[in-house]
Amino acid sequence: MKVRVGGLAVAALVVAVVVVGSAGARANACGTVTLNEQAWAGSTANTYVVKNVLEKSLGCKVNITKVAEVPVYQAMADGKTDAILEDWGHAPQWAQYVTKQKTVVRAGPNGVKGVIGWYIPTYLMKQHPEFKTWKGLKGEESLFKSPESGSQGMFLGGDPSYQQKDQTLIKALKLNLKFVSVGAEPAQVARWTQLYKQKKPVLFYWYDPQYLNATYQVSQIQLPARFKGCLDDEKVGGPPAKFACAYPSYTLLKFMSKKFATSASPAVGVVQRFSWSNADQNAVAKMIAGDHMNPDQAAQKWIAANKAKVNKWLGK
Amino acid sequence: MAAVDAARLPVAAPSPWWRSRNALVLAVVAGMLLAFFGWRNELLWPASLTWNALSHHLDDFQTWLSNNRNVAHPSVFFRAFNGLADFLDNLVGWLTSLFFKLTWIGTTALGVLVVLRFGGRKAALGTLAAFAAFAAMGLWEPSMRTFALTFAAVALSLAIGLPLGVLAGRSDRFQRAITPLLDAMQIIPAFAYLMPVVILFSVGRGAAVVTTMIYAIPPAIRITALGIRGVPTNTVEAATAFGATRWQTLLKVQLPLARRLLLLSVNQTILFALSMVVIAGLIGGQGLGDVVTSGIYSDPALALIAGGAIVVMAIALDRATEAMAIRTDPTHRHLTESKKRRLRIFTAACAVAIGLAAGLGNAFGAGSSWMRWSAQPWLRRQVQAALDYVQNPDTFVFHITNPVGNFIVKYGLVPLQSFFTEVPWPAMVFGLALIAFLLSGLRPALVTVAMLALVGLVNEWPQGMDTLSQVLVGTLLTMLVGIPLGVWAAESRRAERMMRPVLDVLQTLPQLVYIIPFIYLMPVSLVPGVIAAVLYAAPVVIRLVAAGVREVSPHAVEAAGAFGATRAQVLLKVKIPLARDAIMLGVNQGLIMVLSVVVIAGLVGSGALGYDVAQGLNRGLFGQGVLASLAILALGIALDRVTQGRSRKRLGEMA
Repeated sequence: MKVRVGGLAVAALVVAVVVVGSAGARANACGTVTLNEQAWAGSTANTYVVKNVLEKSLGCKVNITKVAEVPVYQAMADGKTDAILEDWGHAPQWAQYVTKQKTVVRAGPNGVKGVIGWYIPTYLMKQHPEFKTWKGLKGEESLFKSPESGSQGMFLGGDPSYQQKDQTLIKALKLNLKFVSVGAEPAQVARWTQLYKQKKPVLFYWYDPQYLNATYQVSQIQLPARFKGCLDDEKVGGPPAKFACAYPSYTLLKFMSKKFATSASPAVGVVQRFSWSNADQNAVAKMIAGDHMNPDQAAQKWIAANKAKVNKWLGK
Repeated sequence: MAAVDAARLPVAAPSPWWRSRNALVLAVVAGMLLAFFGWRNELLWPASLTWNALSHHLDDFQTWLSNNRNVAHPSVFFRAFNGLADFLDNLVGWLTSLFFKLTWIGTTALGVLVVLRFGGRKAALGTLAAFAAFAAMGLWEPSMRTFALTFAAVALSLAIGLPLGVLAGRSDRFQRAITPLLDAMQIIPAFAYLMPVVILFSVGRGAAVVTTMIYAIPPAIRITALGIRGVPTNTVEAATAFGATRWQTLLKVQLPLARRLLLLSVNQTILFALSMVVIAGLIGGQGLGDVVTSGIYSDPALALIAGGAIVVMAIALDRATEAMAIRTDPTHRHLTESKKRRLRIFTAACAVAIGLAAGLGNAFGAGSSWMRWSAQPWLRRQVQAALDYVQNPDTFVFHITNPVGNFIVKYGLVPLQSFFTEVPWPAMVFGLALIAFLLSGLRPALVTVAMLALVGLVNEWPQGMDTLSQVLVGTLLTMLVGIPLGVWAAESRRAERMMRPVLDVLQTLPQLVYIIPFIYLMPVSLVPGVIAAVLYAAPVVIRLVAAGVREVSPHAVEAAGAFGATRAQVLLKVKIPLARDAIMLGVNQGLIMVLSVVVIAGLVGSGALGYDVAQGLNRGLFGQGVLASLAILALGIALDRVTQGRSRKRLGEMA
């Protein structure tokens, strides 16, 4: 019987070999560029807009990898991924791969300003104008009571992979809130949007740019102003009082593999010059994630309407 | 035989009720409760008993690894890993491009005809249906990529697992040495070792194959060893008496007699490998895993559909391998010369047909993947509509799920959680050790103390206790669901037939996928994690209990019948007590499986150790991820030893 299995395999192999050979691709100046798309919708928007610019204007062949946020640094070090277009801050990886090993290089900001903070629905802000700043929360925490938080108010924490310091912040501000995690972003969104639809109070970790901000009206609560030496990384530790400041505003950064950056590909310049606004990214992200449009079509639609910006990236 | 079985029937314990084991366990629990109310939150695990530097050492190790790997000329050590990764990547790449070069017509012909030749018409129809499903879902290309990856990973897992399993079956010492390693490979969440794997093997299909193999090899070894051990000793002795060498005994007696379990190990290896598809997507494994991981954030409906494709693939492979195993079983078929000749012609015809299909596909430009028409947009709308419906607070569903979810959290899970995390730690350690001692003896009690100490030492005490409370709830619910359904499946063929496809789906659907409807249905913390655990662990419990009840000696059942016992009496007084070992094995396996859902549970609101592991990977906190995983492993070992000890002790009592 082994012989017969072998026979079948050989037959299949012959077919395969005969068929091979039609693959020879046209080589051009740009070659193949590999971009990494991350899980959130904004990243998809960046990736597909740049992909379509590179393909349509420079004739590159663009591959997309979908490696998680931290492993992607090793992927760039190996030259398996050429570039990421949006990073929200991975200081240990920068120290390791950019500064020490020099296997990954910076490609500048992508123009989008990342904002992280404490949010409530806008209808709640209208009912309770005192929530404009964190001080207004004092004494009213029980408004945010939930089954998980007992007599305390619930603070709905963010995705475990996101930058956050809320547990320490709550302690430092002496608020009677309980930090509750419902897990990854889809679960968190499911939770607060359900409360939103019922017009109930909810206080949660949130950020911008985010395509859902076009669908749901949310308002930010002002946290204490940033001061010199205030801390943001809970995991590093330190006295809670040092954490009693708002999140910094994030300049979202692009990174390239050293191999790609030192190549002669015209795509390198486009990746370096690529920069757009929060509104631009939200528009494309909403078409993709909100309206379920094909990402390539959404990107092309935006490109067609924004020729001037695209030409700048192309160095024209 | 009947006499022996009858003698094993349990007899009422003669000791007074207050000395019975259950009463003593209850007394210990009461003591712990007293400690909880008396000194709540006052004695948390002391910082002096933790080893905080360990986490930094682990981080340093990872940095060292990375700094030495990413240089212009890495050492031979790193180059060897690189070479292996490239080999695996090329292997998968070659398979994938083979499928694409054959065009979708040729690939379909290849799959269907191979199954037709070795598995028969019914299985071949199933395979054809699977291909049609991939096309209809609009996921042909990712499905082929996932199949190539799984095929390579399974082939290599079996190449390593089967010989080691034979070795473990023949040598007690080797079995004992390898068991803790297999436990670790199955319990430690992949999230914890993903980053070192990526540093050593880089990202891509090579790393994905390695990660999959780490999880898929243990069942191959375990089930093979079980099969070899299951061969009756007198048969082996007879073979030896006739002068067979060790090799002859192995090849002519042990392996053929263990055939059924060897095939089960192939089958389980495939299913375990498919359950890693989503994790593989995180490190560049491509295929359906990619669709699930990116879809979960921005397009949950598509992620669910991709999960469906994984299930279709798993069920098709399961049925095809089963059919092939039955059809090619040498004990069941006796081939005459003319039959053999006909089969040879059939094989040749299949090969020609595959070649022809591929040739035609290429000649008419059929394309490497089916791209023409798909029901994906329609499916997506339907699934999205269903998700929107369960999430909508205006529907009647919401008015049931919302109060139920809130009630479970408020009066069940949260109080239990605060008991476990806030009770004075000495009371917890002492109490759990006492319970372990009462249930299964001194050794498991000592293991429990050591493992709890480890959880504290790695600075994961509150998270560890939080996880423990959820694991206990999950296991309890699993047994409440699993035991009655298992007994029912054993008693009624029809029930078993009805349950089988559901169990298959639950076992193969990636956890990250079936959790999606629940996070929409009950987006309160803790509940979706418990549901995920029960859904994942219950199928195994049901199957083990059903097998145990079915295998109760017919003599005992007949004897009871002869004494005039009704069917219900036979079930309750004979079958279930005699199937106690299988049920205890179910508890044991159920606990381990519930524990293996912890990380996924952390992603849907159960927090605790699972959250720490997930955060470890996602925020580059390697040390934290490893320590939290060690705590999971420690809990797993303690729970395993306590439940295993119990079944062993019972066996002793019954003998």
